[in-house]
Amino acid sequence: MKRETIRIKEWISDLQDLYFLSFQGLLGLVRRPFYSKDVIDQMDYSGAGSFFIILLIALFIGMALSLQLSAELSGMGFKMYIGRIVGVAIIREIGPVMAALVFAGRVGSGMASELGSMTLGHQVDTLRVLGVDPVRKLVTPRLLGCLIMLPALTIIGDTISILGGYYIAVFVSHQSSAVYWSSIQDVLNFENVVSGFVKPFIFAYLIACISCYTGLSTKGGAVGLRRATTRAVVASFVMIVVADFILTRVLFYILGFSL
Amino acid sequence: MIVFDRVSFSYGTQEVLRDVSFSIPFNERVAILGGSGDGKTTLLKLIVGLLKPDSGRIVIDGKDITDKEEDELREIRTKFSIVFQEGALFDSLNVKENVAFGLREYTKMTEEEIDQKVRELLGEVGLEHAMGLMPEELSGGMLRRVAIMRSVAAFDPKMFLYDEATTGLDPVNADITCRLILDLAHGGRGFIIVTHKIFDALRLAERFMFLKSGSIIFDGDKDQLMQSSVTEIQVFLRELNPPSRASSHKGED
Repeated sequence: MKRETIRIKEWISDLQDLYFLSFQGLLGLVRRPFYSKDVIDQMDYSGAGSFFIILLIALFIGMALSLQLSAELSGMGFKMYIGRIVGVAIIREIGPVMAALVFAGRVGSGMASELGSMTLGHQVDTLRVLGVDPVRKLVTPRLLGCLIMLPALTIIGDTISILGGYYIAVFVSHQSSAVYWSSIQDVLNFENVVSGFVKPFIFAYLIACISCYTGLSTKGGAVGLRRATTRAVVASFVMIVVADFILTRVLFYILGFSL
Repeated sequence: MIVFDRVSFSYGTQEVLRDVSFSIPFNERVAILGGSGDGKTTLLKLIVGLLKPDSGRIVIDGKDITDKEEDELREIRTKFSIVFQEGALFDSLNVKENVAFGLREYTKMTEEEIDQKVRELLGEVGLEHAMGLMPEELSGGMLRRVAIMRSVAAFDPKMFLYDEATTGLDPVNADITCRLILDLAHGGRGFIIVTHKIFDALRLAERFMFLKSGSIIFDGDKDQLMQSSVTEIQVFLRELNPPSRASSHKGED
C-alpha cells in the first residue's frame, strides 16, 4: 500500500513537472536569450531528417486507402466518391495522425535519448553551473523546431497521400482523373483545412514536451536511458491518439460539423 | 566560506547524507574521500545548489542558499568552477566550442578575440592542436583538461570543485591533471576534490574529510589522517603500502 501511495505521488509530481516544463518551454519563445542556431539545428534534425520516411509512409497509406475504397465502392457503383473519401480521411484524420506518430517515433525518441544522455553525463548540470537555463537552451529550440516542422511535414505528407490515392484511383481503378481532382477540390474547404492544420501544432507541442521531460528526468544509467526513451515514445503515441479524439470533437463543435 | 549546518539529503527513500556539518574557507585545499555511493558527488552538487537539501542549511559566502530559486543561484555559482567526472563536455560541440561556450554566453568578445582566448587557454594545457576535435575523439586526460579550461574561461572562480578528477586516468595523465589543479589553486583560490584515490588526495590537499554512509567520520589534516584508527581510512591508506608480492604470495608455495 505504501509503495502504491509513493507511486501515485511520483506520478502526480511527474505530471506537475511536465506541466511546468511545457509552460517554461513556451515562455522561452518570447524571452531572451534566444538560441536561434539551436532552433535551426533542431529544424534540420526533426524536419529534414524525417522528410523521406514521412514521404514514403504517406505515399503508401494514400495508395492503400484508395485501393481499399476502390474494392469496396466499385461493387456499389460509388467509385466517383474515392477522391472525396481519400481527401477527407487524409486531410482531417490520417495525415496529421500518421505524420505525428512517425515524428514521435523518430524525433521524440531521439530527443529523449539525447537529453537523457546529457542528463546522465552531467552536461545538463554543467549548463546550470555555467548559468545557462537548460529549458531555454535545450527545450525551447526543440519545441520550436517541432512546432514548425511537424505541420510542414503534415502538409507535404497529405499532398503525397492524395497523389498516391490518385495513382490507384485513376491507373488501377480506372476512375476519371477529372472526377478525382474535382472531389479533392471540394474537400479542400476552410473547415477541413483548418481541422487538419490545427492538429499538427498540438501534436508537435505534446511530442516535444513529453520527450524533453522524459529525457531531462532520466535516472539510472543505460537501463534508465532505455526506459526514458521507451516512455517518451509510448506516452507520445497515447497522447497523440487521445488528443486526436478530443480535438476532433472540439473542432467539430467549433467548425459546425453536423453529426 | 562554505558552511553546511546539519544537512540531510535523500534520493527518494534512499538517504544519502545525514546531518552533515562542516565549514570550508574558499582558500582551503580539501579532499573528500569515501567509497562509491557514500554521497561525495551529492555533496558537491549541494554546494552549487544543483540539489536542495531535505533539511539543514547551506550558507555560501554569508548567503543562505538553501531555498534559493534557480535565478538567484546563478550569482552564487559564479564563485565556483565545477568539473564533473569524465569532464561532461558537450557532445555536440568540438573542443574549441566547449571552451568558448561561457565566453559566448557572458562576454561580448568578437570571434577573433574568442579564438585567441581559447588558443591561450588550451595552450596552457598543451591542447592547442585539439581545438577541432570532438569530445569522443579525446582521451580521458584530455577530456579533464579541456573541462577544467572551460570552467575557467568565462569566470574567475573563488574555488574549484573537482569530482573524481583523476579517476580512470593512467599515472602520466593523472600527474598532469594534478599539476594543473595545483597550478590553478593560487591567489587565495582553493579547491574541494572528491576522490577515492588516496595518492592524489595526499598530494593535492591539506585537509581531508572521509564520508561513510552519508556521515563525515573523519575531518583533519594529513598527519591526523595518517594516524587515524578508523578502519575504512586504514583500508584506504593500505594502498600507499601495498603488501609486497613476496609476502602476498607467502604460503602459496
